[in-house]
Amino acid sequence: MLLLFRLPREPSTPRIAVWRKLKALGVAQLLDGVVALPLGSRNREQLEWVASEITDAGGDATIWIGRLASTAQEHELILRMQALVAADYRALIGEVENVRAQPSGRRRSLGRVRRELRRIRARDYFPPPERELAQQAVDELAIAIEEVLV
Amino acid sequence: MRWATRAHCHIDRTACAWLIRRFIDNDPEFVYVDDPDEVPGDATPFDMPGVELSHHHGNCSFETFLERYELDDPVLWEIAKIIHEADLGDERYDAPEAAGLDVLLRGLAMRRSDDELLVITAPLYDALYDYHRQVLLRGRNPS
Repeated sequence: MLLLFRLPREPSTPRIAVWRKLKALGVAQLLDGVVALPLGSRNREQLEWVASEITDAGGDATIWIGRLASTAQEHELILRMQALVAADYRALIGEVENVRAQPSGRRRSLGRVRRELRRIRARDYFPPPERELAQQAVDELAIAIEEVLV
Repeated sequence: MRWATRAHCHIDRTACAWLIRRFIDNDPEFVYVDDPDEVPGDATPFDMPGVELSHHHGNCSFETFLERYELDDPVLWEIAKIIHEADLGDERYDAPEAAGLDVLLRGLAMRRSDDELLVITAPLYDALYDYHRQVLLRGRNPS
C-alpha cells in the first residue's frame, strides 16, 4: 500500500504532525512524498486518516494498493523496513543498559522502556532477531528491579 | 434513521454506533459499505474519509459526534479519551483502558459480522459509561 502526497512546506506544524504519524505507523519512505506500508485493514484505515489530514492541510494525497513487480526488490524493501525497527530495538536495548546502571528511579524508567517497546512492536511488520533481544533485555530489567525489592 | 459507515467495524465505529443508539437516535438502522460512493441517499455517513461525522483536526469520529450533537456529558468525554487512544494511539490522552479495549475489539471483529459486533460491544461501552460515571460522581475510583 502506497501513500503519495504533497504538503505545503509552510506552515510546518501539519507537516511535522503527519511525519510523526507516519513514523509511528512504521512506513518505509521510498521517495520524497511516497511512503509504503504493508496492506492490512488497520493500516489502511490509519493511512486513510493521514491522507485526509494532508488534504485538510491544503495538500494532496492518494492511496494506492500495489505490488512490486520484482520479488528481489520486494525482499529488499522488507529488509529495509526490518533494518529500521532493528535499529529502534537496538537503541532501546542501549537505553535498558543505561537504566540498569542508574542508582535510583529504575522502576519509573522500566515503565518508560516498556511503553517504548510496545510502540516499536506495533510498527514491526517483519520482526528482526532484535525484537526478541529487546524483550529479553526489558524482562531482565524487570527481574533485576524485583530482586532488589525482595 | 439510517446511518452508514465502512464495513469491518473496529473501535471508533462500534463506539459511534453505541453513542447513536443510546444518545441520538433510539431506532437506528446501520448500513455497511466498502466505498463512500455506496452510501445510500437517505443514510447519514460517519467515520469515513470526506464526511462531516468523521476524523477532523486530529479528533476521532466519536469526538466529532460529541461536538456535533453538543453532548456535553463529562462521562462521554472520558470515554472519548479511551476511544481516541484505542483508535489513534497518538498519546494525546493517558487512557490505559485503550490498549485492552483495542485488543478485545480486534479479537471480536475476527469472527463476527458488523451487526453482531455492534450487539456484542454495546455492553462494553455501557460498562465504561457506568464505571466512569461512578468515578466522576464520587471523585474517586469505585472500591
